[in-house]
Amino acid sequence: MSSPELVTVTIDERTVQVAKGTGMVETAAAAGIEIPVFCYEPRLGAPVGACRMCLVEVEGMPKLQAGCTLSAQDGMIVRTARSSPKAAEGQNSTLEFILVNHPLDCPVCDKGGECPLQDLTFRYGPGNTRMTFPKRTFEKPIPISPLIALDRERCILCYRCTRFSESVAEDGQLVAINRGAQSVIATFEDEPYRGHFSGNVTELCPVGALTSTQYRFEARPWEIQDVPTVCGLCPVGCNINATTREGKVKRILSRNHPQVDEGWLCDKGRFAFVHLHARDRITAPLRKAGPRRFEALDWDEALDLVEEALRRGGHSTLTTLSGSESVEEAYALAKLLRRGLDANAAVLPEEVPDALDAFRAPLSSLRDAKTIAVVSDTPVVERAPVVDLWLKAARRAGAAISYGSPDGRVDALVTDDPEIAASVEATNVYFLPLTPNGRGVADAWSAAGDGEPVDVKPRVLVISGDEEALDPAVRAVATEAEVVIGIGLFEASFRGIADLVLPGTSYLERDGTTINLEGRLQRQRRAVLAPVPDVLAWLSKLGARFGVEISPYSSVEFEEISARCFGGISYGDVGPQASLPPRAEHQPKTQKLETGSLRESVSASGGGLRLVAYKPLFSGPAVERTPELQFQRPAGEVQLARADALERKIRNGQTVTVSSNGTALELRARIARDLAAGTVRIAVDDAGDLHAVVEVKA
Amino acid sequence: MNNVATEIVLKDATTSLAEYEAAGGYAALAQARALTPEQVTDELITSELRGRGGAFFPTGRKWSFVPPKNTLPKPHYLVVNADESEPGSFKDNEILSRVPHRFIEGCLITAHAIDCTNVFVYIRGEYSGPYEILVGALEELRDRKDIRGDVTIVVHRGAGAYICGEETALLESLEGKRGQPRSKPPFPAISGLYASPTVVNNVETIATVPPIIAMGGAEFAKLGVENTRGTRVVSISGNVVNGGNYEIEAGMSLRDIIYDLGGGIPDGRTLKAVVPGGSSTVILTKDEIDVGYDFESLAKLQTSMGSAGIVVLDDRCCIVQLGIRFSEFYEHESCGKCTPCREGTRWLTAILRKLEDGRAGEHELDLLLDVCDRINGKCLCPLGDSDAIIVASYVAKFRDEFVAHIEEGGCPFGGASSLDHVLAPVAMHTHSPVAEVPA
Repeated sequence: MSSPELVTVTIDERTVQVAKGTGMVETAAAAGIEIPVFCYEPRLGAPVGACRMCLVEVEGMPKLQAGCTLSAQDGMIVRTARSSPKAAEGQNSTLEFILVNHPLDCPVCDKGGECPLQDLTFRYGPGNTRMTFPKRTFEKPIPISPLIALDRERCILCYRCTRFSESVAEDGQLVAINRGAQSVIATFEDEPYRGHFSGNVTELCPVGALTSTQYRFEARPWEIQDVPTVCGLCPVGCNINATTREGKVKRILSRNHPQVDEGWLCDKGRFAFVHLHARDRITAPLRKAGPRRFEALDWDEALDLVEEALRRGGHSTLTTLSGSESVEEAYALAKLLRRGLDANAAVLPEEVPDALDAFRAPLSSLRDAKTIAVVSDTPVVERAPVVDLWLKAARRAGAAISYGSPDGRVDALVTDDPEIAASVEATNVYFLPLTPNGRGVADAWSAAGDGEPVDVKPRVLVISGDEEALDPAVRAVATEAEVVIGIGLFEASFRGIADLVLPGTSYLERDGTTINLEGRLQRQRRAVLAPVPDVLAWLSKLGARFGVEISPYSSVEFEEISARCFGGISYGDVGPQASLPPRAEHQPKTQKLETGSLRESVSASGGGLRLVAYKPLFSGPAVERTPELQFQRPAGEVQLARADALERKIRNGQTVTVSSNGTALELRARIARDLAAGTVRIAVDDAGDLHAVVEVKA
Repeated sequence: MNNVATEIVLKDATTSLAEYEAAGGYAALAQARALTPEQVTDELITSELRGRGGAFFPTGRKWSFVPPKNTLPKPHYLVVNADESEPGSFKDNEILSRVPHRFIEGCLITAHAIDCTNVFVYIRGEYSGPYEILVGALEELRDRKDIRGDVTIVVHRGAGAYICGEETALLESLEGKRGQPRSKPPFPAISGLYASPTVVNNVETIATVPPIIAMGGAEFAKLGVENTRGTRVVSISGNVVNGGNYEIEAGMSLRDIIYDLGGGIPDGRTLKAVVPGGSSTVILTKDEIDVGYDFESLAKLQTSMGSAGIVVLDDRCCIVQLGIRFSEFYEHESCGKCTPCREGTRWLTAILRKLEDGRAGEHELDLLLDVCDRINGKCLCPLGDSDAIIVASYVAKFRDEFVAHIEEGGCPFGGASSLDHVLAPVAMHTHSPVAEVPA
């Protein structure tokens, strides 16, 4: 690629060289000069020049120009408010106009103290008001969804939210209605704003017009601390700030990692943190005290009982891991079991071929791809939501996206099937794991020992993680085991199957690392103290009883596993904005892991359709414990490929009967264009007792 | 200068294809098709025709900006702006109603000149009469492939927003989006409708194209005066005896337009002021009407022909009330995209109302001017600027009357104002008798 033509621009007497066509806001920033903005947000597409906050004077142009819509041309001479009284007056005017109808209720506004309108008014605005008329009023606040409150009086109509809805999330649900001074943001016919990414508008809003209902009146900016960490709810690993006040997480904000998430979060990552305070949160070790009941134990007693159980299980102990553990937790647990008991049998959450590391690329490269193939039974947005935004960005940039196996070589492949990942010719491969840290957990397990699993019936089962405890396949094994030890967050997940439960910690309560779908090692930081001791703390104590040295500090455990798996980088090196390791050249260190034995694989045969029962994004233990997210849970629907729908004369939205071997369900049909013919999708919770091959009738 | 109408656009008025053809209609089209597109455009450049929508951009040059398809392989579009909605202007209504085929002929010649086969006519939703006539005329051409050629003309009805007369807002609306102006550049000639090269012309401009081709650009350029060639269809309204549309040769004196064509001021009243080119043009006092009705002469008085809506006001007219009516209109029609227009027009109306009610102090007159100053030149499109410019011109030219409102604690004209018969208040815009637009 040829290097872009450089041009010289003079801004406030400072000369700066930038690539031709660079936006003036960025050009000024390169010269160390701020051009204040409200509506300008490059992530939302082309600038619109609506708010007029960025007015600058350009030599040779009689009128003030909107800086956001200007681009750098050679020899341009620009003056901002710093050196041009005219520009300063223009910006002051804009703020005066904005404030004419703004309620100025900053003392009770959630945005107060971290509000761009406040900040820019202090720096560029008028000190007093000349408005002597009643302000425009609207009904407020309007809950545009259970998650988001809209205050139309505070709104300055920058159209960031509607542009996000239209051209980033592409859900088209937020719009402006009415005209002129009566323009307001609205949803169609007051339907709730449903979508995987709706919460982003609360962060885009430069005033307190769109606020999170969870955060409403919860904290002021001077009382809070933002802890930079990484979301642990899906394999994307979006970078986040956890806002905490007095030891509690109050909200989750994005923390733009331009290669991973570009500052977007899905609603699960943003809003599901309230699971930390769930009523059935396990706060002490538990022992089964009845078919559906547990009793609390003190820690010494609990460790004694766990030790006793593990000794009973010995090398016939089977471990199932959920993939929500940190690398260090998984490594420590693996050391305890593999080195302490020689219990090498495990059901790992994923099988991620190391060979994929040779096709590793940052998610942001997806946007630059010209040809993309998506081969995924699960909708991408349900498994790795932000990847869907990258795909949409790629399509807007002109990429051709094909669903199903591509004809030839593609720039990028997005798939949930490791075998396909290995067979398709693609420059970059993005494998979508099922679990947030499945790769890290698999690495940790294999690094902790090299003994072979024995082929005996497991006597003791260790279930790590709530998702695992809820998995019917795991539950089936649990009924066969003599003792079941659970590690998790919520009592309900383990009720009826576990004999002993040790409390787990959430990703927001622990220090550790995770590996996302790109293969990027990222650091999670403890945002708040868990209501229970750290997992590593009690694993360390248990380890001592089996002669295995386990540190209660994740940094120490990390150093140990890093030497084996991550090229020996130090804990500190992971940093707040982790980089992607270079592509692997080495041959994958193949180690046969016993995986997937509990998961059945199905293939369609005969005339039926292959049923894919997928886990929707808005499902699982954390979502179930977030009341505000319930409206986002998908209504019972069956997704069909267009060809299958046509063949059966099924229309979009029609109620259909899905049946297999005597079981029949009524579901609403939706035609999904990313689905290959011959396959139908139903959310796992809606699939009931349906078998692997189903028939769908109108 | 003569004082009779010079008709080249409105002549031989007929809605019938047969009559139009009998009068030599569509001959110019055949003439144009015998020329290359470049030759047609050159003819327009020679004619010195400038856009009749209000911005006076040279039409031929506008056409010449459309990049050839071999450098930018995208379809070309012609979009005709028939969203005439400026208070005081109703000339396009007349043109579409009286000479629909001349207009269509203009569309077809222009389509040939810019190498396009898709023409969209964006017509104001309330113009049900002209719409029916235009559609009827197009219907007559259904079987006339010899005239239509490969060109498809689509008539699209607007939904009643003044802002959709702004070319980029019109394009947004035509694309099915919210009618809000785009930031320029890129200009429509490069990236207009569906991001393709688009020429947006006013109805009158397009209807002037056939006579130009028929008489030749050079001959056309002999009409009118320097910088304003040819004729203009002007709409005379307000306190005149003979309101209506007249086609005049550019450069005719405004006094002649008002007194000879318009028949002067009725009811024995005297002239007070004239709005020369639709609501968005700077007002002229009774002493400023000895001016040629052309671009340059009016520019010397800091005003313009705009959309040629001449509103004549007699001595009963309260200028503050005039300001309220126009400012209300701009407030009502502001699209809401950019801040100064959305908030400023509303503020201006509020201050003007306070002045009219006698509740304002001297400082509020300064505030009014300051708000005008703060809007003007800072908006995304000319709508907000227009409101600021005209209100400021009212104060500049009729300051005594504004001061009288303050000093007398109310309107010196009392309840009596001649405006009710001149300009409908905004409340009537929304309860228009033609609001029920047939589907």
